[in-house]
Amino acid sequence: MAVTETGVAAPDYEEAELYTRVFRVGAFGQCWRQQLEPPDLSLAVEAAADADAAVAAELGCTADTAAELRAVCSIDMLMPSDKEKDPDVIPEDSSLLTLRIRKKALERREEVIIVDRACRQETLAYEMESYAAGKRPDNPTDVVDEGELLLTLNIFYPVIFQKHKDHKPYQTVLVLGSQKLTELRDSISCVSDLQIGGEFSSHPDKAPEHISKDLYKSAFFYFEGIFYNDKRYPECRDLSRTITEWSETHDRGYGNLQSVKMEDYTFNDLALKIGFPYLFCHQGNCEHIIIITDTRLMHHDDCLDRNLYPLLIKKHWLCTRKCFVCKMYTARWVTNKDSLAPEDPCFFCDVCFRMLHYDAEGNKLGEFLAYPYIDPGIFN
Amino acid sequence: MSSVPGLQEDCEELLSAFQEADTVRFERFAELWRERRFHTVFYGRIRALERNKLTKKTLELAQQYFLPPYAFQIRVGALYLLYGLYNTQLCQPKQKIRIALKDWPEIQRFQQDLIDSQHYDAVYIFRTLRLARAFHFTAMPKLLNYRTKKKIQEKEFKEEFKDPSNRVNSLITNDVLEELMNIHDHYQKMKCVISADKSQPDKALSLIKDEFVVNLKDITLEHQEWQQNRMKLFLNAKETGEIPNKKEEESLLESEGSERASALARIKYKSYSAVIEASKSRRHRQVKLESSESGSNYGKSPNRSRRNRRPQPVRRRDSLEIKGEMQMAKEAVSQHIGMPVITEENSDEEEVSVPKRKRRC
Repeated sequence: MAVTETGVAAPDYEEAELYTRVFRVGAFGQCWRQQLEPPDLSLAVEAAADADAAVAAELGCTADTAAELRAVCSIDMLMPSDKEKDPDVIPEDSSLLTLRIRKKALERREEVIIVDRACRQETLAYEMESYAAGKRPDNPTDVVDEGELLLTLNIFYPVIFQKHKDHKPYQTVLVLGSQKLTELRDSISCVSDLQIGGEFSSHPDKAPEHISKDLYKSAFFYFEGIFYNDKRYPECRDLSRTITEWSETHDRGYGNLQSVKMEDYTFNDLALKIGFPYLFCHQGNCEHIIIITDTRLMHHDDCLDRNLYPLLIKKHWLCTRKCFVCKMYTARWVTNKDSLAPEDPCFFCDVCFRMLHYDAEGNKLGEFLAYPYIDPGIFN
Repeated sequence: MSSVPGLQEDCEELLSAFQEADTVRFERFAELWRERRFHTVFYGRIRALERNKLTKKTLELAQQYFLPPYAFQIRVGALYLLYGLYNTQLCQPKQKIRIALKDWPEIQRFQQDLIDSQHYDAVYIFRTLRLARAFHFTAMPKLLNYRTKKKIQEKEFKEEFKDPSNRVNSLITNDVLEELMNIHDHYQKMKCVISADKSQPDKALSLIKDEFVVNLKDITLEHQEWQQNRMKLFLNAKETGEIPNKKEEESLLESEGSERASALARIKYKSYSAVIEASKSRRHRQVKLESSESGSNYGKSPNRSRRNRRPQPVRRRDSLEIKGEMQMAKEAVSQHIGMPVITEENSDEEEVSVPKRKRRC
């Protein structure tokens, strides 16, 4: 493992190409900042100009050499002298294997008449990735600091559908090193937070407004043997206590599992492995796997508005379930043991549900059990 | 992330052309780049999302050649390649080059080496990239997503790109040899002291070869020379094998001096060139086959030549002998590629590659 000049070990693989050893996030950022110069860390829009004199000084050569270097090493040396060609057209006589393969693929598509347009999922994905790039806030105090760390997290959805078992869908979130864990917790949107508990066939209008998110506020993160519990509200409980007690009863080989408060910690305070799965648990039993895929220094092309973080840059598109009757609106109700419905369970939008199951006065028709339904695709 | 098809071949082709040019000047690299019109590697109807991914993968591939264990020249070539790819990419805003913290000290050292050896163009280019903020300073070079199911392809390094591995040299260094010498002398002295005759040790005490340290030193030096020669010949053989063939042809004409021999030599030369002139992208691989044939066929040669000699018709025998001599001459050139120890099998080497090649042509 490479040791940098400050004596702190740089992050390196513990398991090759899979995940790294544990390292302290804050110390890592410190290490990089010490090794770099202010121009590397600057978040200014324009890069600093490069004078010949500065070149000569750094290289130890004459100013003439510097000027010559500027001419010889310019990008124009790599561009052809003929006029700018259209980047969409692959040149006919290319010597590059990459282009020949690409051309063949394009020709194949033309032959078979496969139309290649951006579908809405692709457009959404691209927009999410790039809409915040380079954004600066109106208020200058909201600008991210230079040398700030940026972590990329993949938060996996709890598996709901069978088809997701092999390739778990995930969302990608960017967080700043100086942000608290609670900010990340608040930004994670999970369908289980919106569930409304209870059976409402007899009184559909009285479905309460309270969603599970308001009722069950406890949550915890698990990173490297420490549980970070959300204790901001009095009704939050320590969900991790069950686990710590279980591991302490016998020697199960987990060492000391500690439990601390989530709101006291920022990402810079944590010790993490990159590429290693960790846990986020809320609602008592809704578990999300979290993997930190990347940690790096802030760059001037990233989003520089602190208020936009944690920033969602990638989301899995889930198809919403539509009403069985009209097939147009998203389902809001699900019924079980419904004598009026062709299948069990059956999904209805609000309008169709009331039209089918209640008469003009609002009396219940037939026997059924009805529950409010929140579709996982609600976040699309 | 799956790789871009054909990209590794193109990059390696460019880098080996740069290595053959035997220079680290950016002008030379720029010439090679312009010849291949490398900036078109991003062309083709690619939409924005795909283009971002493609550019990221391209830069990641090029970045791997920038770090050890690749040879110095390849690393400079990779630096130029990164410069070219970064500036000719079509993404807006530009995709950046990732540098991990663990690799940074090595890159600093590389930079210092370049300054010390006054390769100003390479230093200038690195400085330009840095000032343009083309780097992302990260923890690890790739994004890690715990993909246990994904098969990690072993990247095959091209042998020519790597510095020759100096395992023997790093084990038997000068210090080690010196110390061995000292210990040896001390041991001899101790033996003398306890022997009856003070000037030399007892016969009963001679349990090791006296010359052992000197032999070790000689063997190490020989190994080093062999390694250097091998690399040199390897690189030389990469250029079309016509050159060694021409030499053979000349020596053949001299020794035989007969028309038939020259006619046969001409035929053989043509058939050799037919094999050699493979497509440009496969050029080095094809030639690799030739040179390694002589090296790797040691085990197979006796059986093969014995089998093939007998059914040869009489007419052919002459030509075979001639070919054999030619082959021997070639073997003499390429003999150095094999370990110097094996010399007895030379006579058996003659027709090994020849029948093979005949079948192929």
